[in-house]
Amino acid sequence: MASQVIKVQTVCRNIIAVARNYTEHAKELGNPVPKENPLVFGKPVSSIITEGEIQIPHGWKELHHEVELGVVIGKPGKFIKPENAMDHVMGYVLVLDMTARSIQQELKKQGYPWFLAKGFDTSCPISDFIPKSAVNDVHNLNLKLAVNGIIKQNGNTKDMIFKVPDLLSYISNYFKLEYGDLILTGTPSGVSGVKHGDIIEASLDDLAKIKFPVVENEK
Amino acid sequence: MNDQEPKIDLKSICKNIIGIGKNYKDPLKEHVPTDEDPFIFAKPTTSLITEGSSIQIPKGWGTIIHEVELGVVIGKRAKFVSEDIAMDHVLGYVLALDMGKSLEFDKYPILLIKGFDTSCPISDFIPKSKIENVDKLNLKLSVNGNTRHDGNTRDLIHKIPKLISYLSNYFTLDYGDLILTGTPAGISTVKHGDVIEASLENLANIKFPVVEIQ
Repeated sequence: MASQVIKVQTVCRNIIAVARNYTEHAKELGNPVPKENPLVFGKPVSSIITEGEIQIPHGWKELHHEVELGVVIGKPGKFIKPENAMDHVMGYVLVLDMTARSIQQELKKQGYPWFLAKGFDTSCPISDFIPKSAVNDVHNLNLKLAVNGIIKQNGNTKDMIFKVPDLLSYISNYFKLEYGDLILTGTPSGVSGVKHGDIIEASLDDLAKIKFPVVENEK
Repeated sequence: MNDQEPKIDLKSICKNIIGIGKNYKDPLKEHVPTDEDPFIFAKPTTSLITEGSSIQIPKGWGTIIHEVELGVVIGKRAKFVSEDIAMDHVLGYVLALDMGKSLEFDKYPILLIKGFDTSCPISDFIPKSKIENVDKLNLKLSVNGNTRHDGNTRDLIHKIPKLISYLSNYFTLDYGDLILTGTPAGISTVKHGDVIEASLENLANIKFPVVEIQ
């Protein structure tokens, strides 16, 4: 089996994320759980970092962490049936979907899109690429996140409301999936605020580990 | 005309499309200036189509809406750039249609209603040198020959340097990135079988048929 060193940051041209895909997380934010269809949103590829600091835009003071399983597309496709969806996956990454929660609430109140609160530079830290073959069961992976050594999130992908094949199928009905595309599959409960000086560590089972310090920009 | 200017294929180089909403004054009304931030959203790059393709309404949607916009293409990486040098980061322009499901932003995710495949038809690339004054460009769109939009970029609320500067404070803008700067009034619906034509002064002309996926 050829081992590929995939640099997701280089090949990715689209990031599509799913909100409220874990019941307990939807509840903790007082949000309704999506019933019919996944709730999708986008992050720009400029938000991806693989090292360095998570930078809070000046004045925003705090961000929320959201630890997620990221799915990386290998085979392009459109109108993909759920039973074929996993054929389009080439691997995974561990991701933090950093969110400016209070900015997001403000935007929602104004009837504005979330894009700014979800897409600012450094809001998408990712791990090294994990080849598909390294994962036995994508719906039984532990997602853990700690802030300054204290565990905040500790969930399992079995609790996803919309499972990976259904997510990929739904998304591909409206957005053609291309090689390198990154799909963020939602976060379990336990989101909390991080501020300047905090350190985030996260893991996906024993497959990936990441560590990112948080700073607030001075300018 | 510079024959050595490279042919820019935006579909290949673009990695980011940022759209700006609510960015045109009503020329018939007194505009009350506010210090409101721009209304920002994004479209995936898979939404880009060029002439020869049709605009495809997702199955079952029935109708979609059109918007006609000046698109700004970034040429030089921009992060924390000030307004006075923002235009140095511009490579050129395109005429773009910002297609959407509807204006029901509270009912559907914006990525879905603004970002579905084929929702960003664009013209050929227009080099920066071809446009003398970007603040005086006519934008026109017609559906089946009937004019719907007939506006001018002089009515932009947040002008291009301000948009580039503001966006670059939060998002690193890179070579090939596209900013859709907003639409003048005239939004209406189109359905299967309609044909949209649009123009940016005499700089670009585009024509796209509309079909609904069966």
